Amino acid sequence: MSLFAQLLAIPAALGFIACILYVLFGQTTVRKLRKNPETKGALGLEYVSGWDIVNVAQALALPKSWSEKLEHGKLSFLYANVSVIHSHTTKIDRFLGALFYWLLMVSGLSLALLALLDALGIFD
Amino acid sequence: MSEILLCNQSLNSQALQRQCGINTDQLSALSCEAPTMTAANTPYLIGDDPSGIGRGALGQLAPAHVARGLTNLSLSFGGDNVVALAEINAKLKEYNIGLMGASTSVYAHRIGGFAGSVKDYQAALMEYRQAARSGSPLKIAKKQQAHAAFRKMQSQFRNELDVVNSQVRARRGTPLTSAERATNIARSSRNAAKLNVTSQVQANNLVKFSQHAKFLGNGLAVIDFGGRVGSIHNSFQAGGNWERELFIESSSFALGAVAGTAAVNAGGAALGLLVIATPVGWVGLIIGGVAVAGVAAATSIGVNNIVKENSGSWYDSIMKAMGVL
Repeated sequence: MSLFAQLLAIPAALGFIACILYVLFGQTTVRKLRKNPETKGALGLEYVSGWDIVNVAQALALPKSWSEKLEHGKLSFLYANVSVIHSHTTKIDRFLGALFYWLLMVSGLSLALLALLDALGIFD
Repeated sequence: MSEILLCNQSLNSQALQRQCGINTDQLSALSCEAPTMTAANTPYLIGDDPSGIGRGALGQLAPAHVARGLTNLSLSFGGDNVVALAEINAKLKEYNIGLMGASTSVYAHRIGGFAGSVKDYQAALMEYRQAARSGSPLKIAKKQQAHAAFRKMQSQFRNELDVVNSQVRARRGTPLTSAERATNIARSSRNAAKLNVTSQVQANNLVKFSQHAKFLGNGLAVIDFGGRVGSIHNSFQAGGNWERELFIESSSFALGAVAGTAAVNAGGAALGLLVIATPVGWVGLIIGGVAVAGVAAATSIGVNNIVKENSGSWYDSIMKAMGVL
């Protein structure tokens, strides 16, 4: 296995775990929020079906100060409402969401970075 | 260039001369060198074929399900347009291998919507054709439906339509530029259409188009996944290591989606913070959104490619570690 293949395997494995957590988090926490009439409308914009799972995870994972900033901006309709979601989730939900979100981000963005570096010819 | 004739009903030599100005002496079919009349849903070659391209194309278009679909499409859209649309369809498929990896990205969603609206328009035209041919009283309502579907498509997807139409060389406009032209083609009582085929590749695209046209709306992801399953199946049939192929195709699809999702999400958050921190207006926002969608698309294409190149060696090491090989 080349060095590049070995490096690539790390975010790939993390991404695989993120995929499992995506289903898990969607089936437990987000399913509960979708059914609750109070939180139903606060899950952010669904670009495609299932995107609300990412929105909720983002709301639970980003530091409070960032989320509050986003909430007061013009684009607040894109994101899930942090305060509403916070009051309807347990500690386990928040931990699961944050774990999923950061795994997704770290693996996805490092895959993108590796693709970019490869395209630039760093590994040739 | 070879010219191919398709009819939706059997025509004898007089009818053919009257309708298309073609003499049966000029025609040849795959099974018969000198036909005296033309059968329905069968491709015929017009004129000489010194290069052999025409006969090759005939062979590809001859299977009954292909020829029937192609005849209907050609009569509804016009011959030139079917060839052009088939080419566009093939290009779309090439791009979406990567795009669909990120079936979650905004841009892919939009392309899916575009394909859906073209499909609705196509279905409305087909229904109008049926009604017009049978003289049904619903004819006018169906025509209005087709026009409404066209307007919807145009108002939502003007940019995509411009890109598509810039590749079409039809002189009188195409069904994608004018609903009037489309309903005229659909209504007219012609029952023969001519296709100009310049290469084997084009003939092959026509075959794929006639088979995939009806799936267009179910999201191009279906086509992408179909392509991936196809390459696994090819490996299986060739006695190759199909489990390895399955690993490569599914991991590149999944990781392409993961990377695309992350890019869209990070881009969305960055855009939100940018709006707060700077006095950027709606125009900047739209440009930013397009940039995010583009980066996401490029990301998933890139990740799809690198994972495809490298995941084979992962599979080998995993198998080795498990002691299977």
